[in-house]
Amino acid sequence: MARVVVLGGGIAGHTAALHLTRMLKRSDEVVVVTPNSNWNWIPSNIWVGVGKMKTDQVTFKLGPIYKRKGIEFHQALATAIHPEGDVSHARPFVDVSYTDSTRAGEHGELEYDYLVNATGPKLNFGATPGLGPDGHSNSVCTSGHAVGAAAALQESIEKMKKGEHQVLVVGMGHGTCTCEGAAFEYAFNVEHEVRQAGVRDLADIVYLTNEYELGDFGVGGLTFTQQGFQTTSKLWTESLFRERGIRAITGAHVTGVEEGVVHYEKLDGSISSLFFDFAMLLPPFRGVDLKAFDADGADISDELFAPNGFMKVDADYTAKPFEEWRAEDWPSTYQVPRFPNIFAVGIAFAPPHQISRPRKSPNGTVIAPSPPRTGMPSGIMGKLAATNIAEMIRNGATAQVRTASMADMGAACVASAGSGLRLGSAASMTMYPVVPDLVRYPGTGRSLKDTFGEIGLAGHWIKLALHYMFIYKAKARPGWHLIPE
Amino acid sequence: MHDTDTDADIASAPLPTAKTLRARKNLFIQFGRFLAINTKMLKIIRKEHR
Repeated sequence: MARVVVLGGGIAGHTAALHLTRMLKRSDEVVVVTPNSNWNWIPSNIWVGVGKMKTDQVTFKLGPIYKRKGIEFHQALATAIHPEGDVSHARPFVDVSYTDSTRAGEHGELEYDYLVNATGPKLNFGATPGLGPDGHSNSVCTSGHAVGAAAALQESIEKMKKGEHQVLVVGMGHGTCTCEGAAFEYAFNVEHEVRQAGVRDLADIVYLTNEYELGDFGVGGLTFTQQGFQTTSKLWTESLFRERGIRAITGAHVTGVEEGVVHYEKLDGSISSLFFDFAMLLPPFRGVDLKAFDADGADISDELFAPNGFMKVDADYTAKPFEEWRAEDWPSTYQVPRFPNIFAVGIAFAPPHQISRPRKSPNGTVIAPSPPRTGMPSGIMGKLAATNIAEMIRNGATAQVRTASMADMGAACVASAGSGLRLGSAASMTMYPVVPDLVRYPGTGRSLKDTFGEIGLAGHWIKLALHYMFIYKAKARPGWHLIPE
Repeated sequence: MHDTDTDADIASAPLPTAKTLRARKNLFIQFGRFLAINTKMLKIIRKEHR
């Protein structure tokens, strides 16, 4: 009998846990530890953030699903990993602190044979003074945040209906943020809502981003063919900004947010301020506050975690200049080298470096989008960890583990630009691979056949279909496993 | 708050024609695009699940 503990109930962790129940024997145990009682389809938070969806349309209770699937569920926060056990535990174990109301603050120790770290990000609002719902800006990172953003946006729309001019700022709250695609989506959904409300002429919408140029999306931009020409996501995105009358400030690191004003530094070293009536600025991510200790109780966190708190796996973390980055630097099995029974997947693994070229201002400020690893790549990594753990349990030392490097993995993204079955639109994109490989694909680093982008109503239908399909899958309804990650 | 370079890039970006904008909303065209885009996405997904 083997015991697998999964830390985190987001896309990567939940996917891993569900597949494990399918792949392991009944006598094996699958345990999920997550501080939240709800699962959230985060891509649809964009629509909650403009009032088009309610919280209960993008979340559901995890408890009943796990009960039905025979998964042991602990609503708790993992605080430390003991990969060698200790004097009182022969097996490795995890320290947890319960968060459900009946056991709040209670300490627990959960032993494991295999561990999947899918803890996702810590929303690091503290990196920028005044950033976030507890400060002076909104967020759509959680469904609760998105509800607050929708209310604030509605206030601005009401003011515009009374003839008041409003400045609406959407973007990234720090120079090292990731998920530029989500901020892009929210900017265009805000524009769509304001237009639908008949007050577009009174709204000045500004997209404030750490991307060096529009269309970077944290992946260094895309090149694809369109009507016989190679074009770039930069030109394509700029065209959409022109069409919809949204202004943009690129290469910006937000240094602070005060009531109605955001301060930022640009890549040229200039310092500016932008007054706003409504702001939705995403936070930078870091790893959750998880420590690691050896059998003697000595702190080995530096060995297991990178300085940004994400877990180090089978990647090449040697510091090297952008020109020397290689596809092989990226991890392929997501196992911790010294502890191959520990996997870190989704946002929880430490990327070896960015995908976009990192840049610094003359003042030494790093303005570099972090690599996105959410959505489809997260689900694929979660399933990979489950597949390899099942293989290792079955075959022990002779197990043949599978690989799924982001340098050999594609992604399909649909960035909403407004909702509505007749009036909606979205930018549909695919890229292959996510991490450019200039050896396999000289010039652009990606396959021109498999990298494309298109704007239209069809994209909105696809995003809506994905919303219902992935919630169905996450609820482990009949045939759920046939829906790909 | 002006970002001169980005503003200039946006101002000189190709503007879709009225015909293109209509095509992006046309139900028949978009239904065809829905099938075509899904096919492209399935191709990417198949690479992961081969």
